[in-house]
Amino acid sequence: MILSPGSILRVGALLLLAVVLQLSALSQLSILGGHVDLVVLAVAAVAYYGGSVAGCAAGFAAGFLLDLLSGATMGVTSLVLTAVGYGVGRFREVRDPSHGLLPLAVGAAATGGFVVAFAAVSFMLDVGASVSPLVIRDAIVTTLLNVLLALPVFTGSRKLLGPALKVDPLERRRRRQPPRETGPLGLRGLEV
Amino acid sequence: MYDRKVVRRRRAALAVFVALSIAILTAYFGESGGGLFHTLQRGAQEAFAPIETGASRALKPVRDLFGWAGDTFEAKKENKDLKREVERLRATLAEAQTAQRDATQLKGLVGLSDEEGFPRGTEPVAARVMARSPSIWYSSIKIDKGESDGIRVNQPVIAAGSDPDASEVGGLVGKVTNVTGGTAEVTLITDASIGIGAQVMPSGATGVVRPAVGNPRDLLMEFVEGGRVTEDTTVATSGFTISKGESLFPRGIPIGRVSKVDLEEVDIYQRVHLEPYADLKTIDIVQVLTRRPRGAQTAGVVLP
Repeated sequence: MILSPGSILRVGALLLLAVVLQLSALSQLSILGGHVDLVVLAVAAVAYYGGSVAGCAAGFAAGFLLDLLSGATMGVTSLVLTAVGYGVGRFREVRDPSHGLLPLAVGAAATGGFVVAFAAVSFMLDVGASVSPLVIRDAIVTTLLNVLLALPVFTGSRKLLGPALKVDPLERRRRRQPPRETGPLGLRGLEV
Repeated sequence: MYDRKVVRRRRAALAVFVALSIAILTAYFGESGGGLFHTLQRGAQEAFAPIETGASRALKPVRDLFGWAGDTFEAKKENKDLKREVERLRATLAEAQTAQRDATQLKGLVGLSDEEGFPRGTEPVAARVMARSPSIWYSSIKIDKGESDGIRVNQPVIAAGSDPDASEVGGLVGKVTNVTGGTAEVTLITDASIGIGAQVMPSGATGVVRPAVGNPRDLLMEFVEGGRVTEDTTVATSGFTISKGESLFPRGIPIGRVSKVDLEEVDIYQRVHLEPYADLKTIDIVQVLTRRPRGAQTAGVVLP
């Protein structure tokens, strides 16, 4: 991701929108016992398109903002989202994926990882707290709901961050398309 | 090849953000309610409150829509659970109502045999109705007691009335006409073959009660002798035979209440309508009087 005031503003706007939406609407929507976690998807999208540094920075910022506005224990969400953002960013850097449906898998992995890591950190902080088995059901439902929402969130994030991206996985994928057969044997690929 | 600078920058970024998070976490835990991060949190919440409120209001329709979808899912599950519960409660209610009905009928039977004038020493045996005549004539029922319980052919059968609060708690139902080891068939007083020597109380007028076939709530008392019969008086078995031989029904078993009196031709012949005390349509429990009372009357009235 190209580091510029514009790109920072775009990422900041995306994360702020995600946090406000999460707090004012999505957290109050209980579907089958779980709820959509838009912030995780937004961080994963930034990391997926911007890389690991942008991912961990976005994770930290979104987590900090979320803790700040929700009144939760500060530092917990930012710690976990930093890890999630870094992980997704590294996955993109190492594997260099470009499949159009990959956001589904990335969204599922990011959400699953976030839920598990958040539960682990919370459990470590609140020693002695009893955990209901329903937590597992909620985690699964949240992950599934996020999978459903992953494609639109990733698409929207890509459009918003587009000008600030150094490398667009989808654009690169288009370039990888095999040349069309447009002429005689010797002229293939030349689009004559 | 990896650019070392990029790798270093990446690792440094991760380390910085993780360290920052842990530092914030530690500081947050360590500080009091009035500490930096708590104050910052309160300030941010106050500052963002209008935005959050506005967003919350703006997104309420969306929230309601999703909430409706969620509620629908939950309502479906709740509906399923409630249906299951209704089924369970229906079963419980049916059991309770059956028990109550049985109790009412048994209470009626106890009350009937305790009534003044009811023949003593009859040794009643309670039995449950197993089967009913499927025709509209209500002519016979099958009970779950038989010869092994002391039931014999021609023994009288009584049952409770439909209204437990009525002054008459029940009355004659019929007589045993067929017995096996464990069951018996009872021919009801509404069967065309039945004729009962009866007496109107307290006037003492006697006659023969026969069914009005097809209407279980109407019996006819014919060949009335001994005075004018009035409505709302009680008719009980007279203990008289209506043909040759011993009377099947001991004296004093209530049969029904006089509901109407038809005077025919110059008031010579009375045709008395009775409403039976026993609820013949819905009886579940009956009592068979297995022993004849001592000193039972055997005076005879021979049918013409």
